[in-house]
Amino acid sequence: MNTASLEKLNLITLVGPPNSGKTTLFNKLSGKNYKTVNYPGSTVEYSTCKIQSKFGIEADVLDSPGIISLNPNSPDEEVSVNSLYNHPEFGSPHLVIATADASQISRHLLLAKQLIESDFNVIVAITMNDILAKRGYEVDENKLAEELGCGVIKVDGRTGTGIDKLISCVKPKLNPDEKDELKNPHKVFENIDKEKLLDLYREIERIEKIVIVPVKNITEPNLKKANEKLKILNPTLKYGSNRPDERTLNIDKLLLSRRWGLIFFFLIMAFTFTSIFWIADPFMKLVDELFGYLSTNASSILGQTWYGDLISDGIISGTGAVLVFLPQILILFLILGLLEDTGYLARGAMLIDKPLSKIGLNGKSFVPMLSGFACAIPAMLAARTISNRRERLLTIFIIPLMSCSARLPVYALLIAFLTPADKLWLGGIALALIYISSILGSLIVAAFINKFNKRIINASDTSSFILELPAYRAPKIKNVIRNSFENAKQYIYRAGPIILVLSMVIWFLTYFPNHSPEINTNGLSHEEIVQMVKAERLSTSYAADLGKFIQPVMSPLGMDWRIGVSLIAAFAAREVFVSSLAMIFKVTDSSDLQSSILLAMKNAVNEDTGKPLFTVSTIIGLIVFFIFAMQCLSTLAVSKKETGGWRIPMLQLVIFTSTAYILTLVTVNVLKFIGFS
Amino acid sequence: MKTASELNFGERAIISDVDNTHPSFRRILEIGFTPGQEIELVNSSAFKDPLAFSLRGTLIAIRKHEADCIILL
Repeated sequence: MNTASLEKLNLITLVGPPNSGKTTLFNKLSGKNYKTVNYPGSTVEYSTCKIQSKFGIEADVLDSPGIISLNPNSPDEEVSVNSLYNHPEFGSPHLVIATADASQISRHLLLAKQLIESDFNVIVAITMNDILAKRGYEVDENKLAEELGCGVIKVDGRTGTGIDKLISCVKPKLNPDEKDELKNPHKVFENIDKEKLLDLYREIERIEKIVIVPVKNITEPNLKKANEKLKILNPTLKYGSNRPDERTLNIDKLLLSRRWGLIFFFLIMAFTFTSIFWIADPFMKLVDELFGYLSTNASSILGQTWYGDLISDGIISGTGAVLVFLPQILILFLILGLLEDTGYLARGAMLIDKPLSKIGLNGKSFVPMLSGFACAIPAMLAARTISNRRERLLTIFIIPLMSCSARLPVYALLIAFLTPADKLWLGGIALALIYISSILGSLIVAAFINKFNKRIINASDTSSFILELPAYRAPKIKNVIRNSFENAKQYIYRAGPIILVLSMVIWFLTYFPNHSPEINTNGLSHEEIVQMVKAERLSTSYAADLGKFIQPVMSPLGMDWRIGVSLIAAFAAREVFVSSLAMIFKVTDSSDLQSSILLAMKNAVNEDTGKPLFTVSTIIGLIVFFIFAMQCLSTLAVSKKETGGWRIPMLQLVIFTSTAYILTLVTVNVLKFIGFS
Repeated sequence: MKTASELNFGERAIISDVDNTHPSFRRILEIGFTPGQEIELVNSSAFKDPLAFSLRGTLIAIRKHEADCIILL
């Protein structure tokens, strides 16, 4: 059904260089109803929609990723270019709308010209005409149409000017009679040689001279005045100046200055980083409480049955584990979107490119790495912007080492155990140290893997950094918010099912086989009985068997099977470590969970040695373990998807977890040796 | 033979050729660094690499290593 209706509809593909106003135009055509799809088996993303019904055209519109030319420069670009000719899901386009920035016409016509010469059915949409008008020039549509031999329409995707004209130009092109005459687009630009490319540019420069004309009829009085002033002040003002607008150059004098540039960069990053935590915190608590409330209610309604527990502890808590990170991810994407829209993000990548390139990364790695402090999953998706495959894989590789927010509750508990009540400030220092070691750890790992990259990351591309620094402009808040929600939705779709299923598996392992244990209920309150049952069930569960199985591994660390079980449970999501400890140590008071767990931990005795289980050395050991260990199964699943195989995720699991184990072993024993119990 | 990586800040020059033995030469051409164009070195990162050139009315950041393949008049 679905495919049949797809075949009938005409397909219009939007193609254009990055920053050419392509997506703004797409938003105007789609209204609100669009969806994002992945090119099968790859990470290249497309947005697709039906043209809004008010325009009176029945057609699908596909927003393809921004490309500079039809000659691909990276694996992702290759997918983008190939799918232009024949998209596996949508077929080949009946019509291509090529966007070109009027103020960048000589660079942007390159792609349009290539499309025309490859026999695509092309309409050129000229965007950003207002920017060119401010310089006193405009594009002559008719002359350009004549030169290119295709329809040319000036549009403004933000105000909607010109959209009607564009639509009336599109309509006849989709006529069944005309469609039959369509030629088959063919590839003529792959590995194009230098001379051909230069000829193409010479031709475009010739066209540019003809079609860029001084503005004749300025209707807007303000603009007219400004223009006259401009011409009086600078009578030699001519088109073709290579300088970008003065405002951008002036802002760059500050933000990219060699003295202050890095300071601004770190300030902006510090702001981003802290807002991920501080703004999101109350919302995360809200989500947490909401699901805690739902879970408690569900279990009191359904009673102490296995299905009641499945729904309350498995499904509801599992959903909560997915949604609790949503506020952070939304805020992260919101800030990144704002930074990108203003034009700063490209400059940030440029500022940090040199040091990152020394360890085999790229300036473009820094956004994914920063995102990794919220959650590794959106961070890995963000790594798609890195065109060099080797650098992208290396970035994805080290992302799990960024201290994601799921580790925070764990660190909070462990640090609380270490800090005396009268020296709470020590906790802050400890947390800062943990974050610094996580950053240093990831950089060291990246440098190390970069040295031996042939064996670990199987890809060799020549490293390059070629990036347009777009003119500064006010961000389009509406689009930024819309994209943030779209990205958050992607996170839920991608990570949601995995986390949910894993939560159920962990629930199953901690619930069966002894699901309704017999306990002595004499003189116990209802609350205490519930907790006793939970504790008894867990200590006789499959998870406990598993924990006892790995006991030999835990013993050298001075830990026993109970910590082992909690570490296994933490594979569903790291923060599960805390609730799992609470269950195992039979913590009954749920009103002040942390202090009761702390009390239980202080009283816990190692079942093998009879000595206290939680000591300064084992706690610090656990912190070291959490810094390095690859514990999040959802991250592994996303890593597999993004790298196209099990190789990288398996290496991450083995390398990071064994490093964590060895470092924990060393830490615990060195601490013991120098006198910490 | 002077290349774009040897420009001083604020210095303008005309491109005479792009070295087609360089691995990134095609992308350099495609983004607009073609013979005859005037470029100006306007900025760089604090580490003096990558370099930001103004070209065809916009700013393009490229690594020094890539600027080396842009030969100036």
